[in-house]
Amino acid sequence: MTRRLISLVSLIVLLLLCFSAPAFAHKVYLYAWVEGNTVYTESYFSGGVKVDNGLIQVFDPAGKKLLEGHTNAKGEFSFRIPEKTDLRIVINASMGHRSEYILKADELGGSSASETGNKPAVDVTKTEPSAPVQVNADEIRKIVDESLDSRLRPIARSIARLQEEKGPGFTEIIGGIGYIFGIMGLLLYFRNRKK
Amino acid sequence: MIFVVFLFGENEERAMHISEGVLSAPVLISGAVIAAGGVGIGIRKLDYDRIPQVAVLSSAFFVASLVHVPIGPSSVHLILNGLLGLLLGWTAFPAILIALFLQAVLFQFGGVTTLGVNTVTMALPAVLCYLVFRKGVMSEQPKVSMVFSFSCGAGAVFFAGILVALALMSTGKSFSAAAKLIVVAHIPVMAIEGIITMLCVRFLKKVKPEVLEVTHD
Repeated sequence: MTRRLISLVSLIVLLLLCFSAPAFAHKVYLYAWVEGNTVYTESYFSGGVKVDNGLIQVFDPAGKKLLEGHTNAKGEFSFRIPEKTDLRIVINASMGHRSEYILKADELGGSSASETGNKPAVDVTKTEPSAPVQVNADEIRKIVDESLDSRLRPIARSIARLQEEKGPGFTEIIGGIGYIFGIMGLLLYFRNRKK
Repeated sequence: MIFVVFLFGENEERAMHISEGVLSAPVLISGAVIAAGGVGIGIRKLDYDRIPQVAVLSSAFFVASLVHVPIGPSSVHLILNGLLGLLLGWTAFPAILIALFLQAVLFQFGGVTTLGVNTVTMALPAVLCYLVFRKGVMSEQPKVSMVFSFSCGAGAVFFAGILVALALMSTGKSFSAAAKLIVVAHIPVMAIEGIITMLCVRFLKKVKPEVLEVTHD
């Protein structure tokens, strides 16, 4: 192993780095969001390729399968909320690609969440003197909840997407190469001490 | 490059790294056992002077997975296992294991539980091609050497696809369908890696022939 060979291969590695920076390899992403009582999911491979006809399975926290289906050509699949529990949504794309997304029960929204929210509301409104306010407070709360939900949903979606799409960055790539050479250094050190 | 990938965007990807939670425990365990055996042999054959070479090739493998090949029916990436096999012999096992581990941890490619299986699917073809093609690569006749170098680079990718299909058989997929899908998707990769291996061998023969001449068995 000469210096020239090392520098050649290092050059190749560097060239590969330049090519690789924008295109992050194969990984499947799944994200899900709720609108009304329907759960929407979208699945795609890194690079933006949609998962066509991927198998989606939905499990409850106990691991019982609630339903399954296939994504369409746009990678989308939607279903009505089967149960108000945490939902584990699993995508199985072809050739060993798999990913999952956990949709928490409180993200499912709907009646169960607003029922629990009502209890303190009653206490507050009872201290209020006038009856009409009591009715209105509940209604206002409901309306505010609904409009907040619909306003925040796109933001929640884009946050989910941002988190998911984060592929390996420059730091990870350089870090990995650094680890490899660190291991090399350790090996050389220990073998050298033996001599 | 992203633009090109999007042009071919409507197809699924078929890649070599098997993710977590796809394979059953017996397959994972036997993969880990075979990988451990290969790594053991590789470490025993690793001599002090060649440690830097192993590290450089390990990092080349580590980065190669990030290089998409946007030609053909689906988007796949380079593997470079044939080149590693040819230059490292059995030492390709530990080199690929370390690179795959870092890919799993840093890039979330493959996974820690599938590390054994993935190491076997990529390093075993590397060693196999090394054993089969090495003599031909060392041939004095440039044409023979070129043909064998190309076959070494391309063949290692081909066998890796076959092994991935074998591993996926345990999930109830038909072997022939899975193998066809993976191998066809990797035809451009085979061609590119064949050419890369050919160029590397030609360069090394001119500049530093003893790197190739060292036997690892």
